[in-house]
Amino acid sequence: MATAQRDPVVTLYRTLLVYGLAALVILTAGLVEFLHFEPFGVTAGVRANIAGVYAYDPSTGQTSGPDRSTFTRSEQFAAVVNWSDLPDSITVQAVWYDSFGNIVGQDGPGKPSDLNSHRIIPAEKPSGLKLHLPGQYIFAVERVQGDQPVEVLARRLIEVERT
Amino acid sequence: MNVMARRAANPRPRGRPARYLLAAVIAGVVVLVMVGNSVLDYAFLDTIPGRTSLYGLITVALVALATFVGVRAFERDPDQRSRHLIRAGVLLGFAALLWLLVSDAFLFAGAAGPMVAIACAAACIPTTAFGLFVVRRIDRNEKEPWRLVLVSAAWGAIVATSLVIWGESFWEAIAVRTLVPGPGLDATRAFSAGLLEELGKGTAVLLLFLVMRNEFDDVVDGIVYGAAVGLGFNFMETLTYMTNLYAIFGPEGAGGIAAGFQWYARQVLGLFMGHATYTAFVGAGIGIARQLPSRRQKVIAIITGFLVAIAAHFSWDAWLAFFPIETSVLGLIEVHLRTVVMTGPFTAGVVALLVLGLRSESAALSEQLRMEAAVGTGAVLPEEVDILTNPWRRFRERLRALDRRGIGAYVRLARLQAAQLDLAMERWHRERQELDAPLEAEEELRGRIQTLRQQAAF
Repeated sequence: MATAQRDPVVTLYRTLLVYGLAALVILTAGLVEFLHFEPFGVTAGVRANIAGVYAYDPSTGQTSGPDRSTFTRSEQFAAVVNWSDLPDSITVQAVWYDSFGNIVGQDGPGKPSDLNSHRIIPAEKPSGLKLHLPGQYIFAVERVQGDQPVEVLARRLIEVERT
Repeated sequence: MNVMARRAANPRPRGRPARYLLAAVIAGVVVLVMVGNSVLDYAFLDTIPGRTSLYGLITVALVALATFVGVRAFERDPDQRSRHLIRAGVLLGFAALLWLLVSDAFLFAGAAGPMVAIACAAACIPTTAFGLFVVRRIDRNEKEPWRLVLVSAAWGAIVATSLVIWGESFWEAIAVRTLVPGPGLDATRAFSAGLLEELGKGTAVLLLFLVMRNEFDDVVDGIVYGAAVGLGFNFMETLTYMTNLYAIFGPEGAGGIAAGFQWYARQVLGLFMGHATYTAFVGAGIGIARQLPSRRQKVIAIITGFLVAIAAHFSWDAWLAFFPIETSVLGLIEVHLRTVVMTGPFTAGVVALLVLGLRSESAALSEQLRMEAAVGTGAVLPEEVDILTNPWRRFRERLRALDRRGIGAYVRLARLQAAQLDLAMERWHRERQELDAPLEAEEELRGRIQTLRQQAAF
């Protein structure tokens, strides 16, 4: 008796469907990761106040000039935060992220009253480099729960020009 | 089986198949998305991508026109083929040049300089060309025409990258203003890259499947076209990263090292394991759909191919940070291990589909060649079957022709063998009822084989 041969295209199709299941697992894991680090509906109902981003002199630790949103690669700059606007019931931190997503400046985490003496948060040059990286920097005042930032209370986007 | 019975099983379509309409709709949507993104970018962002997008529209229009002229050359006016091909080539050349000029001038040339951009391009051309050569060679039974392989790569390099710049700029602009920086933001960026880049690249394979059905036979062809699109995309992305990092680290005295590392990571280590692998999955899905009987299965296969490509791409972008690279000698080993561990399983998955596809294709062609030889039309002789089913024996026969009569005989025999395999492929598709070409096309092919046989006689 002749046996019917299975169409090899069906085997290919089924193999692809198995890959598709694996792909769904990967994408679901990604979604879970996203929801873990970006929990929806978790809000303290407060906003932080970033006074501005200014040119910064590391030798004196002071800022100068007007509030700016662009800097050259060789300029030093720092953000100034009014911690006193925030209640002490929350834990906060202020973080500079460079254009590669690396942390290049940080204050906290701690209670806002503990951070009052650190109003000026400079963006540091990456280790081993003489200049800032060009591109978009993010300065974020974040509410922290456990060890994890769960909400941005205020943010500023700064452009470091290529030239 | 008599001619009438076969004709009834494979009726001649009355007009253009519906897939052409679908292709036109997809092409129209692509153009509309590009125009919309461009105008919105310029109006609301007014940044470098915004300006690039406006100039990019001209490039896209040139690529579209070149594609139209190129397809027309092969589909409509074979007697004026060379003239149309020259026109298409010139238009494509202008488009590529314009895009390179625009992207370089507006994105990087100000900092890295045009000479650096040219040097980076010169470094990437041989590796990408090698990649395309290998990808085309893997289809050992019936190699895809260079013109389609190159069009695929050009789409990946020019059209897909244009789509991605605009889409990702929007996504990024919204994400950095709304999300907590860190892993969550990284994950959404990875979703953006996976989704938009694979859709942008995969559209090319889908259009080839809809418009150039005669050159799109099965999963193997899908993998070839998909990988070619991926290699084109990888070429432009490498160029972008190299010039960008040169501009960033040049003032620190490490521009060459940074650009060189990018070249190695993307053009050597990741040549086949990055974009080529991802888009090969899209091609595999479409290639499998090509041979499935029901519309529902076709749609599922195409969507699954895209899904696997998006997931593979996502996993690299999202979880790269979990494999940090040390700045010591150990880092050199880690870079290789990271690529193998993170992308290797996906590449192995593509290879598995390729091997299964090649095996199925070889078996089918062998059977069809035997049946054609048995019919006795003279298109395939019984003693030729074993030669035609074996790539090495085909090559040895061509070498014999070269030895006896020179390069002309080699080329003529190669054409004859290709036409005979075309006929077997045609028979295979007709047997599976996967053709919308009339039966007369098969008879024409037999006639052409007879002519080629006379020319190749030695």
